[in-house]
Amino acid sequence: MDSRKQLSDKRLIELLRSDTNPDEAIRYLYRTQYSMTAAYIKQNSGTDEDAEDIFQEVVMVFIEVLKKNKFRAESSISTFLYSLTRNIWLNELKKRGRAKLRDAVFEKGKETTEMDVGYLMINRELKFQLMQLVDKLGETCKKILLAFYFENQAMREILQNLDYENEQVVRNKKYKCLKQLEQMMTAQPTLANNLKSVLFYE
Amino acid sequence: MNENSPQTDLLIQFLDGELPREQMDSLKKSLTENPALREELENLRLAKEAVKSYGLKNRVRLIHSEMMQEFKKTAVPKTSLIKMITRHGLRVAAVLIVLFGISTLYQYITSTPEKLFTENFKTFDLHTTRGNFNTILEDLYEKGDMQGLIQQFILMKTPEAKDYFLAGNAYLGIHESALAVKTFLKLGQLNKTNNTHFYEEDLEYYLALGYLGSGKPAKALPILEKIHADQNHPYHEAVSAWLIRKVKRTVKA
Repeated sequence: MDSRKQLSDKRLIELLRSDTNPDEAIRYLYRTQYSMTAAYIKQNSGTDEDAEDIFQEVVMVFIEVLKKNKFRAESSISTFLYSLTRNIWLNELKKRGRAKLRDAVFEKGKETTEMDVGYLMINRELKFQLMQLVDKLGETCKKILLAFYFENQAMREILQNLDYENEQVVRNKKYKCLKQLEQMMTAQPTLANNLKSVLFYE
Repeated sequence: MNENSPQTDLLIQFLDGELPREQMDSLKKSLTENPALREELENLRLAKEAVKSYGLKNRVRLIHSEMMQEFKKTAVPKTSLIKMITRHGLRVAAVLIVLFGISTLYQYITSTPEKLFTENFKTFDLHTTRGNFNTILEDLYEKGDMQGLIQQFILMKTPEAKDYFLAGNAYLGIHESALAVKTFLKLGQLNKTNNTHFYEEDLEYYLALGYLGSGKPAKALPILEKIHADQNHPYHEAVSAWLIRKVKRTVKA
């Protein structure tokens, strides 16, 4: 897919949902939506760096929303992303303790389409902690888990890329890695409970 | 060899969608009866979700870096743009100034009295100062029939001041500047004789133009200098210092 071509919202959603290769669809999002987000953040006391961070998060949340079939398509992608941007930025301002500015931004955005996206977003701090936990895993563990759960590779494919005897060994390794991560999380019960309440919200 | 805890192994197989159907019912029953097992399943699911989020985050981060590079390549930096505009703007301005200078110098060097006449002559506008247009000459002047006007003027036995002035302008209009000068001088004489001031200031300007048109800049110069020096003269604006410079040059040439 050439991300410079025009894509309908429907096609873009299909591509972003797919596990095969959503990279071009993500590039398309950047080419069509990034400037709007950047303008919004900068108009509301954010910096270029804030705009970059927020947009990355917006893209992530949007893809997760799509994969969980939570996008109701009641608005255009553009409107939905704007709403996500606004909510994420408001939370960030809140975290930074800039209540007055947050209120001003909130008031300014009142007239725009409101969507119940709050529940779809994990607090940035929680997400940051979660990513740190995964990061603490060894490189091999990360490779196996990512290959299996994110890339959706079969054990046979993973075996080809790693120096293990057979699939069962890889399977055992994957088991240990996932269990290790699970134990790291349960070692922080507050984090685990907060994450579960958000991730498994139905 | 599988060295894993059998229960956890089942939970992971369940999460991965790899649990054989015959074991599914048994696990579901265990999950209903065993809260600790349910807790473990939830935690494993959370771990799985964390891996997915981590993968997505990395993918987005990589594409983000790539896209930022692309944006930087395609966007002209503002500072560079301003510098470029300023630099090019200054260059363009410098070139324009030089071209203007060359053009001005060229005009100055190549000035001739006739050329100055052509550049400055504009038909006198009767509407600006006069009220009644009922004479034959005025009608012809309005129509732009300068030849007809001159013929009528020649036939006149006792032309009036207005007739002289219009005839002089008609001569200028057909580039018969010497005859125009002659006619304007007659009007000047008439004013002097009768102690009148008909078209006095208009006459000065058009007489000077007549001198230029007839190749006598030296005679035009003092009149133009007088007009230029008099800020209240109606033709003061039409006689610039630059025009006087050019006339002076043609006098010297």
